[in-house]
Amino acid sequence: MSTPAAPPLLALRGVSVRYGPISALQDIDLQIQQGELVALLGSNGAGKSTTLRAISRLVKPVAGLIEWRGRSLARTATERTVRLGIGHCPEGRRVLARQSVAVNLELGAYLRRDRRAIARDLQRCYERFPRLGERRSQPAGSLSGGEQQMLAIARSLMGRPRLLLLDEPSLGLAPLLVAEVMAILQQLHREGLTILLVEQNAHAALAIADRGVVLQAGSISLSGSAAELMAHPDLKDTYLGEGEPGDG
Amino acid sequence: MRDLSLLVQMGFGALLALSVYLPLRCGQLSLATPGFYAIGGYVAALLSTRWPALSGGGASYPLTSLALELLLAALVAGAVALVLGRPVLQLRGIYLAIATIALVEILRVLNLNMAWSGGAVGIFGIPQPFDGPAGYALATGVLLALTCWLCSRLEAMRLGRAMSAIREDELAARCMGIPTADVKLIAFVLSAVIAALTGVLAAHFLNTWNARQGSFDASITTLAFVVFGGSRIWLGPVLGGLVITALPELLRPVGDLRLILFGLVILVGPILFPQGVITPEGLARIRAAVRRA
Repeated sequence: MSTPAAPPLLALRGVSVRYGPISALQDIDLQIQQGELVALLGSNGAGKSTTLRAISRLVKPVAGLIEWRGRSLARTATERTVRLGIGHCPEGRRVLARQSVAVNLELGAYLRRDRRAIARDLQRCYERFPRLGERRSQPAGSLSGGEQQMLAIARSLMGRPRLLLLDEPSLGLAPLLVAEVMAILQQLHREGLTILLVEQNAHAALAIADRGVVLQAGSISLSGSAAELMAHPDLKDTYLGEGEPGDG
Repeated sequence: MRDLSLLVQMGFGALLALSVYLPLRCGQLSLATPGFYAIGGYVAALLSTRWPALSGGGASYPLTSLALELLLAALVAGAVALVLGRPVLQLRGIYLAIATIALVEILRVLNLNMAWSGGAVGIFGIPQPFDGPAGYALATGVLLALTCWLCSRLEAMRLGRAMSAIREDELAARCMGIPTADVKLIAFVLSAVIAALTGVLAAHFLNTWNARQGSFDASITTLAFVVFGGSRIWLGPVLGGLVITALPELLRPVGDLRLILFGLVILVGPILFPQGVITPEGLARIRAAVRRA
């Protein structure tokens, strides 16, 4: 890929992560340009979530460099990455079940001080997700799975990210809801948000992505435009494993 | 007179319970409270007995000197908590509990063997700033009211919400940009300061201070306050501290049965109220019932 004068929004160069004796990622190279929607695909344990965790500094790589707009994140704390504009929507939704929908959303804007803009964003968020608006004072634990996923995405958006890291938003959702989530991501992408989407549901993710990257046992085994990957004969069998989408 | 003394001790119980509650509010089971309570007591005991200038010329110990002791105890305990908090708070769950028990034990053994802390005898003849228990009841009441106010404000503050978020899901909290390590440290330092302030009042009230004041037993007792009262809202530990401190005294008329009854309350409380006697939902129900009536 020919790199223009401006550095990519995010670049991983030779990143490796270990969990004790187990190697989770080896020598990952990945660049994301402003405005792209990149799908990160792979089967269980391929290292997809670990990649996101490395980017948001929840785990520290043992080797390699992660750069945000040309600057190394090596000494950056997780809360600082949020401030820089990296929003991480973790796997399994992880909404605060006892807190109300509104408190969950306000906590998403924890690092922001601009009260007026937060209130405006909250309003926009209720317009985008009308069901969250209807249930704003209910505890988040009382929402359905799909609504909780919407809340998790909405909460990440409240931090005004420039790059949204999304970990398996389709996990455990009925096909109709998966389509709904993907439609929202597509809409966010159209509005200019850069998204790194981790998915086991390759078909749904590639349908909205610009390009895709396939992880296999901690290494990148395949990458290309969404159309190329969709047409790739061995994508399902060889690269993603025959397993059904399950817990990641 | 005896009843007022009991009130003072109940106040100490409630304050120590709040000291255990604050770290728990962000999911940290710290049992260091008696250690900081002991530090506060020693600061008061040493200053008031070894520094004649503080005693003034009057019959009773000056209140300004007491205020100075409170300030210094808060600073010392806060500084110790700040230094120890960073490494200790990296531990989670039961490991944090064990490390904080060890901290209390180390302090106890040090105090037991050091010359300046009076060794096993401790420090006695601590001067009295108040004529009787009424003054102590007032001072303890003011400190308790201030601490309750702080804790109730916390529920509406960003810091309080961050603490709740960490308690519910630390990873999610980090993803929201909450500086979890800092928030936990703030809670730990606040907890230490409250315990130390209580220790200052207790040292004067008891007239003597020794290594037995901060022991493993005290760690468990203060934890029982919170387990009984509940740890989800500040009113829980306050109630737990008041009731569990008062119970052995209130049960005195039943004679030998009292320890058995006391044990039963401790045992049955968590079975009937696994989240403690006071929960936010329970309070909401009571409020609704009051409104209907």
